[in-house]
Amino acid sequence: MLRALRLLFAVTASVAIVGGAALSADAADQTIVFGSAVSLTGSLAKEGKLTQEGYDFWKDYVNARGGIRVGKKTYKVDIKYYDDESKPANAAQLAERLIDQDHVNFILGPYGSGTAFTVAQLVERKKIPMVEGNGAAEKIFNQGFRYSFAVLSPARRYLEGVIDLALHQKPRPQTLAISAASDAFSLEVQAGAVDYAQAHGLKVVYNNKYPETATDVSSVISAIKASNPDLILNAGHLQDALLVHKGLKEQNVQAKLYGYSVGPDTPDFTTALGKDANYVFGGAQWSESVKYHADRAGFYRTAPEYAKAFAAVYHHRPDYHNAESTATCLAFQYAIENAGTLDPEKVRDALSKLDVTTFYGLLKFDSRGLNVYKPMVTNQIQNGKLVTVWPAGLAAAKPQYPTPPWAQR
Amino acid sequence: MQLFFQDLVNGVLAGGILAVAALGFSLVWGILNIINLAHGTFIMLGAYITWQLFTSFHLDPFLSVPIAFAIMYGFGYVLQRGLINQVVRAPILATFLLTFGLSLLLVNLALIVWTGDTRAVSPAYSGANFTVAGVTVPWTKLATLVAALLITALMHVWLVRSKLGRAIRAMAMDVGAAQLAGVRVAHVYAVTFGLGAGLAGAAGALLSLSYSLNPSMGEPFLIKSFVVCVLGGLGSVQGALVGGLVYGIVESFASQLDVTVLGQHLSGSGLQDVIALVVLLVVLVARPTGIMGRAAA
Repeated sequence: MLRALRLLFAVTASVAIVGGAALSADAADQTIVFGSAVSLTGSLAKEGKLTQEGYDFWKDYVNARGGIRVGKKTYKVDIKYYDDESKPANAAQLAERLIDQDHVNFILGPYGSGTAFTVAQLVERKKIPMVEGNGAAEKIFNQGFRYSFAVLSPARRYLEGVIDLALHQKPRPQTLAISAASDAFSLEVQAGAVDYAQAHGLKVVYNNKYPETATDVSSVISAIKASNPDLILNAGHLQDALLVHKGLKEQNVQAKLYGYSVGPDTPDFTTALGKDANYVFGGAQWSESVKYHADRAGFYRTAPEYAKAFAAVYHHRPDYHNAESTATCLAFQYAIENAGTLDPEKVRDALSKLDVTTFYGLLKFDSRGLNVYKPMVTNQIQNGKLVTVWPAGLAAAKPQYPTPPWAQR
Repeated sequence: MQLFFQDLVNGVLAGGILAVAALGFSLVWGILNIINLAHGTFIMLGAYITWQLFTSFHLDPFLSVPIAFAIMYGFGYVLQRGLINQVVRAPILATFLLTFGLSLLLVNLALIVWTGDTRAVSPAYSGANFTVAGVTVPWTKLATLVAALLITALMHVWLVRSKLGRAIRAMAMDVGAAQLAGVRVAHVYAVTFGLGAGLAGAAGALLSLSYSLNPSMGEPFLIKSFVVCVLGGLGSVQGALVGGLVYGIVESFASQLDVTVLGQHLSGSGLQDVIALVVLLVVLVARPTGIMGRAAA
């Protein structure tokens, strides 16, 4: 009896599964399904949410206007999300589930270099293209992968703009101190900044790193103070920027310029530090004041148009995480349209040949899949507001330099 | 030489907070024999209580310390009586599972309540400092250290003098004998766990001044509490204090290192954790019960 019951159960279950699969295959006929494992909980929840907003904003825009044209057919788009809980190992597992069980057509990248790296390895095995906009470590792209593309400028360039800007000021700075958190992204930022500074005649008087999980960087600050630099830079994330900047004030470290790879662009930085946030510089992938004009119709053509429409939906101004995530989707859209098919191999080839300017800048990949063609911008917090100050051609205001003493900011 | 003294001061200032953070963890571990994996989460909650009071009522973060302690004490007491007590005699894996699950739950609740945005408590005086003989001392960190020492001293006096404190210490020595002598085990367990949570809350309140807040901020503090505890000796107030200070100072000096070994350039980062753990190993080999720990009776 029991055996018969079990058999019956097995039969119904398999019918249900087959039926389900047939159903989803049916739906996939009119819809391009993207899959993404993003961090919705855990330490990267905030950044994960910004990523998701950037993706969804594009999806809603495209669907409201009918969808994407592929050859002679028009497809709606859908994005299936899983929460990777801010753990790189989960992201790869979830991406595998997206490909094997949910049969998504393409993968949109997760947030962060560590996570993007694990997913890049997976899509390589599965031969499904991934475009990502939130993992800037070059390490991901130095493995000879064919199926991963990044729309953002590589990590090494994050602080180049800040240094470049400083070199054009008077009095010209002579020395630089840089600290870094020891994760893949930050170390590349640091190495890039040090190389760039030395090539341009700056003396690097402090160059060290601290653990990613550091809860106290007082001694790093003390050593920086002892080296008495003109420029103080930090390669890290928002947490690092806050910890270091608070520490610099606590030990009364005075420099001509303070620059952070990530942090000043997030409103949290200004909220948390108040007046102390003024005069701080940060590298950014994009800002509202960049002056690109998209050469294809079908999406917002300029940064201000994008920002205005975005703010109307999400009730906050888009930061560069939002913009680069939307650009990630645009790369796929244009590649799919160019390819005229959903065949993963052909879309991959179309991605590798992509060369299109968008509101976010040029989308074009080198042979490694890295967008080395788009420049970074440098922002400064002036009177509590984030403004683009470099490169000069894109700047909305002049940089304020040198930084006055702590009490006068 | 100036840098040497600055590092020493930095280390002591950092160590004071670590001592308070580890003290609660140490009590719960030493007396209930529970390695509370939710301890870091309790620290996070203490920090958020302080942030909320600061943002909504402009309450000074130092005044929030007793409030965070009281709220977390109550939370810990109820949690122990209702939930943790179920696993007090269970194998260690069960306590791990329960406290880890609890920590996941609380972190995600915090994510819903306070979102993943990074926050900071920055009163007008934050960053103010003074300089003595070339060594810069931030006022907030000095005040934090004083508060930490005060909390530790109060804890010590209370454990030695008060009836309840003595009951707690008696239970640490021999539960059976304590019970025979009339100690109400369930109540004392809950009080101990409450104290552990309360101390975590106080540590969180103190930390909020120099560290930025987000729901997963507790994780590194859990690991540091663990090391400090083992370093100083389990279940004792002096142990947590000495462990915290030693750990803080070692970390401070380690971050200054910049050496090349076997062609590998090693600097502060990699070494900061490595050296702290090597010190832990050395102490464990030389004194298996920790610096201040007594040999098992």
